[in-house]
Amino acid sequence: MPERVARRTWPVHAVLVVGALVMVAPLVWEFLTSVKSFGESVRVPPTILPGTWDWSNYTKVFHSIPFGEQLLNTVLMTAGRTAGQLLLCSMAAYAFARLAFPGRDVIFMLFLSVLMVPSQLFLIPQYQIMQELGWLNSLQALIVPGVFSAFGTFLLRQFFLSLPKDLEEAAGLDGANPLRIYWHIMLPLARPGLVALGILTVLWSWNDLMWPLVVNNDPEQMTLSAGLATLKGEHFTDYPVLMAGSLLATLPVIVVFIVMQRRVLEGIAFTGSKG
Amino acid sequence: MSNRWWKVLAAATVVVSAAACGGGGSGSDGGPVTLTYAIWDKDQQPAMEKIAQEYTKAHPNVTVKVQLTANKEYWTKLQTAVTGGSAPDVFWMNGPRIGLYAAQGVLQPLDEQISAAGADTAAYPKSLVDLYTFEGKKYGLPKDYDTIGLWYNKTLFDAAGVKHPDATWTWDDLKAAAAKLTDPAKGQYGIAAPADSQANYYNTIFQAGGTVISDDGKKSGFGDPATIEGLKFWVDLIKAGSSPTVQQMSDTEPTQLFSSGKVAMYYGGSWEANGFAKNADLTGKVDVAPLPKGKKQAVVIHGLANVAYAKSKNPEEAADFAVFASGKQAQRIQAEAGAVISAYQGTQDTWVKAHPQFNLQAFIDQVPNSVPLPRSKNTSAWTKHAEDLLLKAWTGEKDVADAAKELAKAVDEELGKEK
Repeated sequence: MPERVARRTWPVHAVLVVGALVMVAPLVWEFLTSVKSFGESVRVPPTILPGTWDWSNYTKVFHSIPFGEQLLNTVLMTAGRTAGQLLLCSMAAYAFARLAFPGRDVIFMLFLSVLMVPSQLFLIPQYQIMQELGWLNSLQALIVPGVFSAFGTFLLRQFFLSLPKDLEEAAGLDGANPLRIYWHIMLPLARPGLVALGILTVLWSWNDLMWPLVVNNDPEQMTLSAGLATLKGEHFTDYPVLMAGSLLATLPVIVVFIVMQRRVLEGIAFTGSKG
Repeated sequence: MSNRWWKVLAAATVVVSAAACGGGGSGSDGGPVTLTYAIWDKDQQPAMEKIAQEYTKAHPNVTVKVQLTANKEYWTKLQTAVTGGSAPDVFWMNGPRIGLYAAQGVLQPLDEQISAAGADTAAYPKSLVDLYTFEGKKYGLPKDYDTIGLWYNKTLFDAAGVKHPDATWTWDDLKAAAAKLTDPAKGQYGIAAPADSQANYYNTIFQAGGTVISDDGKKSGFGDPATIEGLKFWVDLIKAGSSPTVQQMSDTEPTQLFSSGKVAMYYGGSWEANGFAKNADLTGKVDVAPLPKGKKQAVVIHGLANVAYAKSKNPEEAADFAVFASGKQAQRIQAEAGAVISAYQGTQDTWVKAHPQFNLQAFIDQVPNSVPLPRSKNTSAWTKHAEDLLLKAWTGEKDVADAAKELAKAVDEELGKEK
């Protein structure tokens, strides 16, 4: 690297290093707390390194909540919602972007209005729908309400609008119907948009607390986020165990991030949001 | 490409359709019955599960499933389930909310089951039985109770050469000790004086002879000079420098300041015993005494109750279990676990013995002087004003008397909206 460039970049790097430390610090703290004794975890002033490294907090997590079942529920819920959103949102988005049908713009506006409503307002009506369907305390209750998304539809519609029409017209001349065009031409072209939506949906599903907590009852039907919430007692919370559980619950997401780092960054750059 | 997509879709379909439908069979009279029992404290879960098993031993056709939801989310979940008509069969209830739930017909009156089970309501503190009685009917039987005590750090007392607190202490003794135990050089304070209602100012208000809500539930007592004196007690401790400031106590919770030896005294509930016992840092260092006396002796008492859902599919079994879970046998199981004081007369000793290192008898001895936790039909409507306005008095932004009078007006307005 030429010396002049190096001289120009070091302040940038210094800022980035500080930023990175700030971002990593909570995770490091979470880890350090997870191997402390309870007394040490609430000590003021706090100790940085644990006096004795107490790994038993990790085994306690498995005694406190059905971790394996909850992890499986979380994975299935996340996978189901993500697959559902990618399919349904892209279909709806394609229709709004390319197909001409009466009332399209009005319907789209109505669709967008859903974005303006805070999600807490849906809690009770959605709960009642699940109850009518007899789905309370089930896996499908975790997945199904999460497979529709006004945001995802909006995102992909904008993406489809930005694609050139030439390819579709060519396919149309060759006799392809709209479904074929959607499936074989548009979806492959929309891959960056789909990846972005997929990442956002995965993160949102993994962290979703209120819905799983409200709609499901048995610990075996809960997700990790809801399971971890039960580790907080009314007057006494074993913080090291809570931190150990939280760290274990975060690990899969961290692994996914490391494996798919480039895609994730592209996705965030594309939507300008990290969910 | 297309092949892979269809596989994903097919897998999703299989997952959705393979998921088992929830919900157990509901039968009556002898058929298998599953009851759900909702609780909110992780610390008490093992005892509650044991109680559920005991019930099944006596009623082999009934299985009770304990559902734990953290306190913070418990009420959101319960309220949603109630609007959907599918709340748990039996659940924990607290004093501030009983009025709302009973008035809306969510709960079953338990009077019939109480007499059928031969349960004696005189075995519970009267103030608690009254707390869960609404329009002459008993909607809940007390499950546990808590009173407040003066927790203190023996090591800090001995180092400062101050006599340990005992039942003879008055407000003046406490103030003098708090001043002596304060050492700014070490960052050590005599007492923690946060703007906490149940653990702090309600007690001193009653000790000063003041009131919070009038007996008929129609007027606030915050403007009463005696009440103001009870509030001033705490603000004076901060002003004297014997307590950390509000700012410091919002940075670090008073419990943590106390358990770290930064604060020598702490008004804390009987519920603290389990946490302090589990903290190895505190072994041999802390103990508890009755609250110091103001004009008179007083302490706030509150307790939970077991209630049964009115729309339960198995209403009789639900009510029967609610009564059982508050009964003598269940209360003893709960007391052994040491997390809370059982409400049933005669089972308290078991709780006291669960943590022999603390003088837990102090909590029980105060019961004759206890005053129920103030409540009205819609308690949270006015406690919100108390939190906002009193904080201003605690930070010194407002004079205590002015804040209290303003609060009295706001509370009266909220009480007027009830009914």
